Amino acid sequence: MSQLQARFFTENKKYAIDDVPFSIPAASEVADLSNVINKLLEARIADHKHVEFDFLVRGQFLRSSLASHMDTENISTEEVVEIEYVQKFTAPQPEECIMHDDWISSVEADSEWILTGSYDKTARIWSLEGKAVMTMAGHTDVVKDVAWVKRDGLSSLLLTASLDQTVLLWEWNSEQNKVKARHCCRGHAGSVDTIVVDPSRTKLCFISLAELKCLKTVFSLSVPTEEEDEVEEPNRPRKKQKTEQLGLTRTPLMTLSGHNEAVSAVLWTDAEELCSASWDHTIRLWDVETGEQKSMLTGSKVFNCISYSPLCRRLASGSTDRHVRLWDPRSKDGSLVLLSLTSHTGWVTAVRWSPSNQHQLVSGSFDNIVKLWDIRSCKAPLYDLAAHEDRVLCADWTDSGLILSGGADNKLYTYRYSAYVSDAGA
Amino acid sequence: GEPTRSPVLFLFPQLPMFDEAGHLDDSDEENEDLSDSEESVFSGLEDSGSDDDDDDEEEEEEEEEEEGCDDDDVETDSVKEGTNVNEMAKSMKKTSESKGVEKSGKSGTDSGLMLSSQVDEYEQDTSDEEDIRNTVGNIPMEWYKDYPHIGYDLDGKKIFKPIRTKDELDEFLDKMENPDYWRTVHNKMTGTDLRLSDEQVDLVHRLQQGKFGDVNFNEYEPAIDFFSSEVMIHPVTNRPEDKRSFIPSLIEKEKVGKLVHAIKMGWIKPRRPKETAPKYYDLWAQEDLNTVLGRHKMHIPAPKMRLPGHEESYNPPPEYLLTEEEKLAWEQQDPEDRRVSFLPQKYSCLRAVPAFSRFIHERFERCLDLYLCPRQRKMRVNVNPEDLIPKLPKPKDLQPFPTTQSLVYRGHTSLVRSISVSPSGQWLVSGSDDCTVRFWEVSTARCLKTVEVSGAVKSVAWSPNPAVCLVAISYGETIVLLNPGLGDKFICSATDQLISSYEEPEESKEQSVQWTIAEGSDHEHGQRLILKHPKAVRQVTWHGKGDYLACVMPDDNSSLQVVIHQVSKRRTQNPFRKSKGMVQCVSFHPIRPYFFVATQRYVRVYNLIKQELTKKLMANCKWISSMAVHPGGDNVICGSYDCRLAWFDLDLSTKPYKMLRHHKKALRGVAYHKHYPLFASGSDDGSVIVCHGMVYNDLLQNPLIVPVKVLKGHTITHDLGVLDVAFHPSQPWVFSSGADGTVRLFT
Repeated sequence: MSQLQARFFTENKKYAIDDVPFSIPAASEVADLSNVINKLLEARIADHKHVEFDFLVRGQFLRSSLASHMDTENISTEEVVEIEYVQKFTAPQPEECIMHDDWISSVEADSEWILTGSYDKTARIWSLEGKAVMTMAGHTDVVKDVAWVKRDGLSSLLLTASLDQTVLLWEWNSEQNKVKARHCCRGHAGSVDTIVVDPSRTKLCFISLAELKCLKTVFSLSVPTEEEDEVEEPNRPRKKQKTEQLGLTRTPLMTLSGHNEAVSAVLWTDAEELCSASWDHTIRLWDVETGEQKSMLTGSKVFNCISYSPLCRRLASGSTDRHVRLWDPRSKDGSLVLLSLTSHTGWVTAVRWSPSNQHQLVSGSFDNIVKLWDIRSCKAPLYDLAAHEDRVLCADWTDSGLILSGGADNKLYTYRYSAYVSDAGA
Repeated sequence: GEPTRSPVLFLFPQLPMFDEAGHLDDSDEENEDLSDSEESVFSGLEDSGSDDDDDDEEEEEEEEEEEGCDDDDVETDSVKEGTNVNEMAKSMKKTSESKGVEKSGKSGTDSGLMLSSQVDEYEQDTSDEEDIRNTVGNIPMEWYKDYPHIGYDLDGKKIFKPIRTKDELDEFLDKMENPDYWRTVHNKMTGTDLRLSDEQVDLVHRLQQGKFGDVNFNEYEPAIDFFSSEVMIHPVTNRPEDKRSFIPSLIEKEKVGKLVHAIKMGWIKPRRPKETAPKYYDLWAQEDLNTVLGRHKMHIPAPKMRLPGHEESYNPPPEYLLTEEEKLAWEQQDPEDRRVSFLPQKYSCLRAVPAFSRFIHERFERCLDLYLCPRQRKMRVNVNPEDLIPKLPKPKDLQPFPTTQSLVYRGHTSLVRSISVSPSGQWLVSGSDDCTVRFWEVSTARCLKTVEVSGAVKSVAWSPNPAVCLVAISYGETIVLLNPGLGDKFICSATDQLISSYEEPEESKEQSVQWTIAEGSDHEHGQRLILKHPKAVRQVTWHGKGDYLACVMPDDNSSLQVVIHQVSKRRTQNPFRKSKGMVQCVSFHPIRPYFFVATQRYVRVYNLIKQELTKKLMANCKWISSMAVHPGGDNVICGSYDCRLAWFDLDLSTKPYKMLRHHKKALRGVAYHKHYPLFASGSDDGSVIVCHGMVYNDLLQNPLIVPVKVLKGHTITHDLGVLDVAFHPSQPWVFSSGADGTVRLFT
């Protein structure tokens, strides 16, 4: 069998080995290479425990034998191959399955609580163990999106958006376990499908309301400020204002119009920039200060969801044509698709970047599967999380390494995915 | 000299070669000296002087004959027939032996003459020259051997044999003693012996050696070329010119006179000018090289004979031998139809094989094949069958169009007869035989609302006006206008206000349709207006503005088949007074005030303002089931129960522009997309076929119709597949409702 010259390196100092080329069999696979590294480490460190490694050749995960991988990637076998090794990601461990009464339209979790919005017109707060803590019933129609705004101490602020065209701002005291609707934000002539809160949660809270309606001003944005005295801001007056019993009504600060069709997703890329994806096959970037469109990325299919990773500064989009695509929002050539992740068989309805790893993201699809991707191995996902029995509608990934997904089977699944994250690096 | 003159003239005048003549002359005059023969040669040239020369020669000949010289005769013989010389010499010897040596000058000359006459009888063709000393003629002399005489002379006297005293002994002695015995020859005619002279012996020797008889004759004399191509300065003869060569000839004058006369009289035509065109020409000079090459290329080789196979073998494998039935069949077939022209037969060994009786036949047929069958190069038309198909763009290039099933809207428990998408594209309404109407969220397949009615829902239609939120639902004899309360709250409430703000006009007309306002629980469910019809309503459709509503109550004999409602005024009109057949479906023109009514065979286009029939489209199919009007308004598609989809171009003709027969079973629903050049048809075979139907603004360019996708998903229940199709208003997505109780979205 032919031999290859390979040099191994890692960014994790804990597992560093000598920087010398080794001659290894070309047919060796991940397990063989992992054994080699472990042997080397055992020689170096006395109390080394066996660790499974994964290997990257020129930024691509090794998934077949080394020879065939280098053949498909057109890497010369004559030279010394640089192989990076990282600790192998362990499969996400399913933790909880939280039953709802109806479809779960949205989920957002932080380190302590899970906030879900459901088609039964309520939003709920769950503990990480799956215990129902609070139910917020106030909307007259399906809750489409939920978002945490602020959590300081025991009281928290959270938002729910609903099909009844309102966004409610709730204040929740976790100690007393009381919830109170603080504000009602209107401004849309249609259901509110998505809300996002800007990164600087303390001061300003942006609520983006997307409506699925083909008007000229499709995209509107209402901006209530979060202030202690809760004084309504003197915003642009709306003609129609109804006082709600659920709190004071806020009106939009600004309306961003430009999309020709329904806007399906919106997010903040940074404090001044907003990104929206629409059914008119475009992703647009807006300057919030001026309210003008900055740039546009054009795809070929309807966008269902987008996600932005501040770590790798990439946009991930999920479309109706079952692809997850990666975009560079800063690129001048707006139509450039960096990468296409193809494995789903239905509409991709949820994508979410890992908050801690610049290479990983999850995607949920109408084919009932949540997939965990590493963009360094774009041919196939790292893991398929096939727990749902019906369409996946939402997914989230918390800083603490928890992956959540909710779907049309009324179940919210949580997975613990911590192996790599705990390894303090990359 | 007269008698001999004629033969010479007769013999020689026509001989072309003068040399030969000269030689013959030489042979005639053996003894002439060279100068004489030379003169004779010259004399032969000169016509005028020839007579005299001949005369001289003959005279000399005669003199020789008179001399009776033996030598001369022998010489003559030898010249004429050189081969006989030996025999002649022997016979002469015999004669001399038998007769003994008897010397008499006269007899010697006689015998010599006789010899010459005997041997060379026709040398001269007169009988005068014959040797006539013995007149018995040319007979075998043995006949006279018993007689004392040997013949008769000219006077009739017997010529007596010389007294033969010689016997064998004398002969022997003579042979021994006579030194001239070897040169003694016996003459049979005269019975005398003849002693050859030295000259004669020499001559015999020379002839035996194949030499010329004349010693002095040199046969290898250098040839003198008298007639060379060069013109000599001296004339051939030295003769002076005749006088007559200086005076004009009278004969010629006469001849010329005759010719002149003939020319004058026109009997002699002037000679025709020579044809200037060359008689022969280069056949291939003008030939084009290409045609030559072409001819070479066009060469058609004779077809090759089939190589013999196992059947022709004398010992074929048994499977090639015909069975009895096959043989019978073979015999009954016409010779042309037979697969093989012979019966395969088996022989135990090659020796037992008989001659092939058909060999000549076969060769003959082969020849007939080769030259009687006209061979023609068949220009093989290399037409790729693909090329005959009209050039249609590839479906890949006609994107976007729906390709895969994305969502299934489940909830209905019975077949879903009708679907309709809201103008915003966010909601979908479906009406089913389970007496419910369901409202769905398009993007999630969530059933948001279910409205129960008291009958199987035949048709649902979302009002195309985006400013109102109304859905028309038909079940049984009722049409319900329903406000689903989806979408913008303001619009919903505005719709409600619009309906409730209606004021009853003062004079209420009697209408065939009863308008009532829904109250109680019905109102809570969203029902706003209820229209009671006299007959079962099958289809309901909106005008593009959303105020008018047309509904179909199919009935073969009633004139009340189609009614048009005006929602804002709650008025009902019956546009047609007469029934034109069972109405299947109706549709409003998207832009102009036209109204399409599809009966079972025809689609009639009415102008609503002028109230007249504008066009009658012949669908040419059995029972139109569904119809859709292109958003441009100039094209109509009709689905029919006989599996066909007819595309009408109203500008083009009243006959279908295209007939598409892609479905296997009856078509149930057809639909156009509002923006994309797409149309779809749903059929009982459970499939939805999406076609690219591009309509150009250019009137000269016909619509381009390309089938792009067959979408399958619905299960066939009770022989029904897809019942209705509808396009999303903005996306290239198609919804289909089926008998399996589902609505499916293909994207």
